[in-house]
Amino acid sequence: MNDWTLRLPPVLLAAVLVHTALAPNLRVFGVSADVLLLLSIAAGVAAGPERGAAVGFTCGVLADCFLLTPFGLSALVFAVVGYGVGVFQTGVLHSSWWIPAITAAVASAVGVVGYVLLGIVVGQDQLFSLRVVEVAGVLSVFHALLAPPAVRLMRWAVADTAPSGLLPR
Amino acid sequence: MTLVFLVLLSITLITLDFRGDSGVIDTIRDGATDALAPVRDLASDIFSPVGDAFSGITGYGDVRAENARLRARIDELEGQALQGEASRRELAEALRLLGVSFIGDIPSVAARVVGAPVSNFAQTIELDVGLEDGVDVDMAVISGDGLVGRIVQVSSRRAIVQLITDPGSSVGVRLTRSDELAIAEGEGANRLLSVGFVEIGVEVRTRELAVTSGLNDSVFPAGIPVGRVTEATSQPGELQQDVSLAPLADLTRLRFVKVLLHQPERVRATTTSTIPVEPPEGEEVPAP
Repeated sequence: MNDWTLRLPPVLLAAVLVHTALAPNLRVFGVSADVLLLLSIAAGVAAGPERGAAVGFTCGVLADCFLLTPFGLSALVFAVVGYGVGVFQTGVLHSSWWIPAITAAVASAVGVVGYVLLGIVVGQDQLFSLRVVEVAGVLSVFHALLAPPAVRLMRWAVADTAPSGLLPR
Repeated sequence: MTLVFLVLLSITLITLDFRGDSGVIDTIRDGATDALAPVRDLASDIFSPVGDAFSGITGYGDVRAENARLRARIDELEGQALQGEASRRELAEALRLLGVSFIGDIPSVAARVVGAPVSNFAQTIELDVGLEDGVDVDMAVISGDGLVGRIVQVSSRRAIVQLITDPGSSVGVRLTRSDELAIAEGEGANRLLSVGFVEIGVEVRTRELAVTSGLNDSVFPAGIPVGRVTEATSQPGELQQDVSLAPLADLTRLRFVKVLLHQPERVRATTTSTIPVEPPEGEEVPAP
């Protein structure tokens, strides 16, 4: 068993607790951070497309446990987002501190819009409103700010070559 | 290859949930909710000061404005105190004359609100009661002020309530003064309810009370106060009025609520995990 299979579960459990118990109480313009989407993006940045998709799917399934939308909708969106971010990240030649932040902002907006569009496809018409723009905008800012620590956490949790813990390198 | 597999797996899960003929999805959801409930309660207790502090910082201006508003409201209420009892009798009489039942006859169970909306799109709250307490899907939830919403998902020890402000919520209402039947639909957090199916010729007054209609298969028993009309306008050429309704219950500060242990006969015994696309209330209200 790889080390990351041992490190990831407690991280995801903690993420679920933060996602369901803390984040809903920290709202700006009525929007709270989507911790599980953020970790999906961070996994793509830290460990590439394959593992980004796997972590994204797992995070999505966990998110779906606490949502009223069809089970699997978040899993589908988060897996695709995690994969897409991983593909993008592997094409980045020059590493810089702001790239994960920008990536998280764009990927979050894409994730929200994708979630709503797919939701409409499966009959969740109530998701479609101007609030999509509000949620996508606020979430992008939230996740851009939280991306650096989230990427560091996921680099520790899922990357094959574990760096020197959670401390900045 | 991994992505293709995960996409197919996701689509399978969505299909299973949609078909509703598999208990697997409900079991997963209920199991996760119940298993994590104690840990989430503990986490909520730990995190609540953080949330309160954040709310205090981000909402400082709102708190000050609300403080001033509440002081003015106290003065107003003190002046109305003597009229209160008479108004209650008047309301009870009006409800009786309208032929609506008294909700006090319905058994209920008190519940504590233990969770805020997890989603940024749905307006839901989580209660600390479940199947073990007799709570089931499609039961109405009320506060001291009026209708809060209905149970849309339930596990052994937890229940999820869809608030009446949720964009997927639809409540059959009766405007008490004009006796008009209509449908009040949610428009999202901190927004007024939109009332449809009110014909042009009907005189709708500001502050007119709307109560649940309770017609035949309605999820909600009749006579539960829902809100007051804030505005009624009509555009030339339109067949309906645009009526807005302010919920009576303060849905942003719910701590304790009551679940009415009443289910319409048509409601299936099994729990559900998705918000129905077609509002159940719409069936009984005549189209204009």
